Amino acid sequence: MSNLEKLKELLIDVFLIDESEFRLDLTQEEIETWDSLGTVSMAVGVEETFGYHFSQEEALSIRSFQDIINILAAKGINFDD
Amino acid sequence: MTRPVVLSFDQLSQKSTTDTVVWTVSSIRKRVEERLPYPVVAPNEIPPGTRSLIAIGGGTLLDLAKAWRADNDPELELIAVPSLWGSGAETSPVVVLNVSGEKSIRMNERFLPDKIVFWTELCESIPEATARMACGDCWSHALEGFLSPLADDSLRIEVAGLLGRMLAVPVGNDPRWFALSGEACAAQAQSSVGLVHGIAHTLEWPLRTCQPEAGWGHAKLCSTFLWPVMEYNRQASDKWRLYMQQYDIDEQAVLAVIRHCYDKNAYAAALESLKQNWRAILRDQCTRTNSSLVRSASLEYFETWGFE
Repeated sequence: MSNLEKLKELLIDVFLIDESEFRLDLTQEEIETWDSLGTVSMAVGVEETFGYHFSQEEALSIRSFQDIINILAAKGINFDD
Repeated sequence: MTRPVVLSFDQLSQKSTTDTVVWTVSSIRKRVEERLPYPVVAPNEIPPGTRSLIAIGGGTLLDLAKAWRADNDPELELIAVPSLWGSGAETSPVVVLNVSGEKSIRMNERFLPDKIVFWTELCESIPEATARMACGDCWSHALEGFLSPLADDSLRIEVAGLLGRMLAVPVGNDPRWFALSGEACAAQAQSSVGLVHGIAHTLEWPLRTCQPEAGWGHAKLCSTFLWPVMEYNRQASDKWRLYMQQYDIDEQAVLAVIRHCYDKNAYAAALESLKQNWRAILRDQCTRTNSSLVRSASLEYFETWGFE
């Protein structure tokens, strides 16, 4: 499974969204379950899946799925495949 | 966070009898009336001129008193006297109320009681099975608070010390659990709880409805699911073991204790309800601060793992 597929599976689980509704350009405002607890849960899942622990500043700066990819890609996690 | 002042039972019995009333539960009302000189009134009833309310009961009654005081008469002195350990309601700024079959959770420092009294005589009549479940509730607060992703290093150091002291007290009917439970709940309130509480909050009402004779309540649910959830956390992530090592906690001793709190028959009886309500459990705010991510597919772990 590619890192992109892993991330998609993770975000669907964290935010309880239907697979058919998933888009990489989804933002926090568009997802009902993306509140502060959603951010905590997402950070726990990212650490378990990719081994990267978001700093508090990073976690608070994330506003979209693309932001997650950008931070992880900057740490060397490849999402190109 | 300011913690309530702890009074002795003698201090409790020396208050003014003219402006103090008691709320309590029916199972201990007779003893309360024999041992304290204050009128017992119905919960939600405060006569005019009352300045102090003594609430003596389990977590449900204490939370009711905390919410009533905060919403109706913030100047009223509130003294909380737990009749059983486990909920830790007497030291927590959280109130959990049943609203139309759903758990309503509110958190605010104004909910904290002013004073607490550990009336150890009350534990003389607690049945052993009830005491074991109350210990499971207490262990759930301590472990989920310790493992929470919202806990910081200083809190984990504090809770690690508490866990060590809890390991020294056997599971069962022992009045030392009153104080330990209060500490566990106060510590957990600084971080969060996790999947054990997500399950307990979600399943309590459905199980009480469909199995009314089984005695389902918060403590029984916490006690039943604590070991399975901790085993889930252990296999889902290496944090469990890392934290146990880092904070010098005897992992095997903890597992032995929480396994002792477990009841396989209760687990089997709750499993169908777990399956039916899994989606709601995933949405519960406690589940979302579990130490390991809880996924849709995580249900399979609880369906298939043989907790014997």
